[in-house]
This record gives sequence, structure tokens and C-alpha cells, in this order.
Amino acid sequence: MSNNPAKPIPKVAVESLTGCAGELLVILDNLEKLVPFIRIMSFPFAQSKNEDGPLDIAFVEGSVSQPHDLEKLKRIRAKTRWLVAIGNCAVWGCVQAGSCSRCHADDMMHSVYGDTCKFEVMQAKPLEEFVKVDVRLSGCPINATQFLSVTASLLKDHLPFITHKPVCLECKLRETACVLIEKNLPCLGPVTAAGCGALCPRVGAACYGCWGPCQEPQMEAMATILQEKGYELDDVLSRLQTFGAPKELFTRMASEKN
Amino acid sequence: MSEIERTEIEIPEISRVEGHSAVTVDVENGKVVDVKLEVFEGTRFFERIVLGHKYDEMPHITSRICAICSTGHVLAAIKAVENIFQFSPSETEKLFRELMHLGMIIESHATHICALALPDFVGAADLSDLAGKHENEFAIWTRLRDLGASIQTVVGGRPFHPVNLHAGGLSRYPSRKELRPLLVKLERGTEDAAHLITLLKSFNLPTETELAPCFLALIPEGDSYGYFGKTIKASDGWQAPVEEYTTYLSESSVEYSHSKRSLLGTKPFMVGSMARLFFFSEKLGKTAKDIFDKSPLAQKNKRVSSLWNNFAQAIEIVEAIERATVIIEILLTSTIAGSENTDFKNKLKAGRGVGAVECPRGTLYHSYTLDESGNITAADMITPSAQNSAHIELDIRKAAELELKKAPDHLRSTLETLVRAYDPCNTCATHMVSVRQLK
Ligand code: SF4
Ligand code: SF4
Repeated sequence: MSNNPAKPIPKVAVESLTGCAGELLVILDNLEKLVPFIRIMSFPFAQSKNEDGPLDIAFVEGSVSQPHDLEKLKRIRAKTRWLVAIGNCAVWGCVQAGSCSRCHADDMMHSVYGDTCKFEVMQAKPLEEFVKVDVRLSGCPINATQFLSVTASLLKDHLPFITHKPVCLECKLRETACVLIEKNLPCLGPVTAAGCGALCPRVGAACYGCWGPCQEPQMEAMATILQEKGYELDDVLSRLQTFGAPKELFTRMASEKN
Repeated sequence: MSEIERTEIEIPEISRVEGHSAVTVDVENGKVVDVKLEVFEGTRFFERIVLGHKYDEMPHITSRICAICSTGHVLAAIKAVENIFQFSPSETEKLFRELMHLGMIIESHATHICALALPDFVGAADLSDLAGKHENEFAIWTRLRDLGASIQTVVGGRPFHPVNLHAGGLSRYPSRKELRPLLVKLERGTEDAAHLITLLKSFNLPTETELAPCFLALIPEGDSYGYFGKTIKASDGWQAPVEEYTTYLSESSVEYSHSKRSLLGTKPFMVGSMARLFFFSEKLGKTAKDIFDKSPLAQKNKRVSSLWNNFAQAIEIVEAIERATVIIEILLTSTIAGSENTDFKNKLKAGRGVGAVECPRGTLYHSYTLDESGNITAADMITPSAQNSAHIELDIRKAAELELKKAPDHLRSTLETLVRAYDPCNTCATHMVSVRQLK
């Protein structure tokens, strides 16, 4: 780090696959805080001279949704020490993986671009399906404070601790009234990873799961509660899957449906 | 027969908010024969993935199309759903939504002008270089960006992908205590925006071009300059309700690009700040109007290069700051009242609704069809970048023809700057243009 002349300055890259650039924007907005401690080798979204070469940390946003993404991801993996999947797209596949789990990529392509279209597409998947990921930092978009503390850990050579407790915990800590119990809203807080500070319940809205599943999410229990509150199982399932919660979490529910 | 001399001018990657794109210009015997704007971002099939979801999930899902314009997507989605249920928001909600939208306009325009365009004009390599060499301009960007983000955080719950805006109204109304500090930031923003205007004026932007753009923009609903409306207007005087967009926009896929393109009949057209100012400058507040009137943008017969889009955006920042101040002052002195009957669950019905808003880059359309249980059975979204793409190609062609004789470096930078001027969502670009001789 810069205050230790003996140690080389860590080399960092910020790259994106298929996503909405949300994380890039969060990092851009916090760049001033990082610049004294790192050397940014590549950040095509924010700088013009981007270098190749070995990296200490690669932050990668977006899901793998086309062959081009996969090649890029493999190139990045090969040259970095830590690979950090940032954002729900990179960690869970986000909306493109969640909603797409119900249909095939080719069908989607033809229904959007027409029958004659020949793009190469893939079923959208998170990074971990293809390469080793060292740190999974979820959020849609990631939370700036969480991002900075993760980066600080990595710069000190520690793997960071990231909580995967449910959003409910943050509601309790903030003493926010439970919107599931008190307002009967279809809140996914009990099965969604904390990190946002319970943004939605805080304004009286239902969590829609944008941080991805929490640790050991009790999907069945969640579905049961929502069914008891009058929500159809189909709708509950589609809501639970929207932000990329993997199919395996729903096996029993799916078989119950059939 | 003499050998054909071919050159390909290539910009291999211009990074854009909506993904990645490239530009190629094919030149044969000194003539531009082909221009391609190739968008090779990963496709996400939003029009397909929303099918089967409930109407109330639309704002959250479609917001993920683009982070910088997420507020615009959320509002277009909300308007489309509310149109199906024939719901009209209360005055308070309208003001909060407008305020939220202005926050996005300020943040997005400031980021485009300062982080993306400015380095080109002041001779900086990129944003970091700008930060080192032009501290003052860099600080202006951080403050304006923060102003836009703060407004969106107070109203929407976070700087983008808002959580507080829904079809049927806001979940929670920001308090006076939260609104007041924004006034202080807005005041500072007024100075910053004025500085930006002075700076942009000092650049020698070309005012003559052979292109007479066909402009398209939404007619603002209220008396002031605005971004919401139900009717679209074109520069030849033609107008149509947005519900009929499929009859006037012909959308098609092109082989080389993941971005669809739209034509107005057979014509490429331009949407965004220049289009809005071309039509509705009369509605601008006093400060913005004065600036507009003294700029070449005001001389409607004289053609102005698309590079002026940067300046047009700066005028919109001035306007947005003035209007946001007015809105907050109204909100501070009025009773904040939400709508009644905001729960659509008991009045579900099948139908189609279109919602359109003016995003930073131009008109955005969302259209949904619902079945009687409130599930989406069809969806369509047309983004400003898809609408502008045919016009960008036209512009590149013109610029390349005019500048072909100039040194490759010059041509390269002219084309880059031109494409970037269209690209307000793009916080920066890989400034790599290669001019290759093919044979
Ligand atoms: S995780 Fe969310 S914010 Fe990040 S790129 Fe994906 S859609 Fe955008
Ligand atoms: S409460 Fe849920 S949906 Fe809302 S921001 Fe947090 S994780 Fe995302």
C-alpha cells in the first residue's frame, strides 16, 4: 500500500459482463476513496487507458449471458489473485437468470429479436458456475459501505466477512415495523440476504429480494406464510425466483405444484 | 482496373451504460460506403422475462435495464400500469415523482458532461486525469452528482433502482426535515451549473452541419418544461398519442447489433435534450431560457451539430435545479396527501397500457398487456438509445465524409467525440479508435 514503500501498490480492475452498470456506478461514485491505496489497471467504464497484466483484485459485475462474457471472465480469472463477484447479477444471475429459469434462451431471443436472429446467447448464469469466485458481494446494486469494507479487508490480505443473515435482522435492529405481519405485504425479507439496511420495509414496502437468498433460506416456510396470506403459489414462486434464487431451493415446492 | 483502396475506420469498443458497442466506417476510394453502430452488450430479454410476472413487480424488474436511467424505467413502468387501471396520482405524488425524475436528470447529465465529455474538450485523457488537472471541474461533477443522488435517495430510498415508488403512489412521503437540506444543495448546484455553462461556451463547438435532424419529444403535461406527457411531437408538426407508438415507430433488428433500431416511417430521428429544447424552450425557467436564447441552439433555421447535445444537457441541469427548488418549496408549504384507493387488487382487469417519459437521452416507452389476474402477457420497451442509433449512424457518416481528408488522428477524435455526445448514459469510454488499412 502507498504508506508502505516496500510493498507494491495493489493492482485492481473493475470489469463488467452483462448487467446494468449499477456496481460500476457505485464504484465510480466512491473512486476518490480508493485511489490513494490502489492502482486501477482497468476500468473501461471510467478510464481510457486500460492495461492488461496481473491483478491483485478483479471486481466483476454482471452475469455470464453470452460466449463473449465467458471468454472475458476466464481471461480475468487467469490473471487475478482475488476475484470478487459484485452485485446480484454476478452472484446470483439477477433478473435475467431468475426469470429466465422458466424459459429457454433461444426462445427468449426469438421472441424479442424475431425468428431470423442469429446472436449467440446463453442461459444467464452467475460467475461461480464457470470459475472460482473468492468473494461474493451481493446487492442490486451493492451497498457502498459494504463494498468499501470488503475492499479494505482484501487490501489487508484478509478475506472479508460478509453477513448473509436475512433482511429481517436489519428490520429488528432498526425497529422497523414488520410489513409482512402488520400490512400483509408479500415481503421476502425472511429469505433475502441483509446488506441494504432493510431499505424497502423502512419505507413501508415489501422486500422483493434484490440482494439474493440469505443463508439457508426457508423457502418452503416463506411460501406457506404467503399462501396463508392469500397469495397464489405460482405468484409466490415467481416472486421468489425473480432476483436469481437458484432452482434447487424450490424442488419441494415445484413438486407440490405438480 | 485500378485496385480499390479500402479503409476501415474502427472504434472497437465504446463502453456504454447499456453494455458495449463499437463503430466501423468503411471507406472505398475516398467515399464512405458503410457505417455500423454495433451494440454487442449481453442481451437480457426484458420483454420476455417479465411475462407471467404480476403488474406490481414491473417497476422493480424493468428498473434493472439500466442503472443510470433506472428512475425513468420505474416511472414509465408505473405510468403504463396506472394507465391500465385508469388511476390518477394525487398532486403530491405527481410533485414527488417529478422531483425524483429531476434528480435523475441532474445526476445523469452531470455525469455525462463532466465525466465523459469534458476530458475530450479540456484535453484530459479521462476522468482520473481530469481529477488531477482540473480539480475544480472534477469537484463540480462530484457535487452535482451528489445533488442528483441525494434527491433520488430522499424521494426514492436510494440513488438508483428506487424502492419507494410504486404504481398507485409512494410507500412513504419524505418529511420536511428530509427535504430542507436539499434546498442548500440546490443552491450550491446553481453556481456549479453556471460554471459548467461558462466552460462549455468557451469550447469552439461547430454550429454548421448539413444534417437537419428530425426531432421527436413528448409534449410536457404542465405549464413548465417537463419530462412527462401523453403525446409525441415531431419537427414537421406531426403529433400522436404515445399509445399509438407502434404505428409511427418502425422497430427492427439488424444483424450486426444487439440493439434494435427505430425509424419514424423511413426516417432516422433524434431524441433527447436537443429535441426537447428545440420544441419547448418557451417553457424554460428564466435563467435557463436566457442561456438558451443566447446560444446557437435558439437559431432554429441554423443547423447545429449534435455535439451541442452536451450544452443542451447543461441547460437542462440549470432548468432542473430551478424547477426542483420550486417543487420542494411547494411541498414544504403544502399538505402532503397521498392518493386514495391505491390498491389495484380489487379492481384488476385485462388491458393494455403504455407509459412514456423523457429520460436523459430521450423518450422511453413501456407497454404492458395484463390478463384479468394482473399477470403480464405481453411487454414492449423502446429505449432512447435504440431510437437514436440510426441517427447516430447518419451523423457518423456525415462527419466522416466531411473530415475524411483530415489526418487520421483528427478524424478519430471527431468521431469519438460525436458518438460520445449522444451518449449521456455512458460515464466513460474506452478511447480506442484504430484506423486500419485493409489493403
Ligand atoms: S446486480 Fe443489479 S445493479 Fe448490479 S448490474 Fe445487475 S441489475 Fe445492475
Ligand atoms: S429490502 Fe429487499 S428488495 Fe429492498 S433493497 Fe433490501 S434486499 Fe432489496
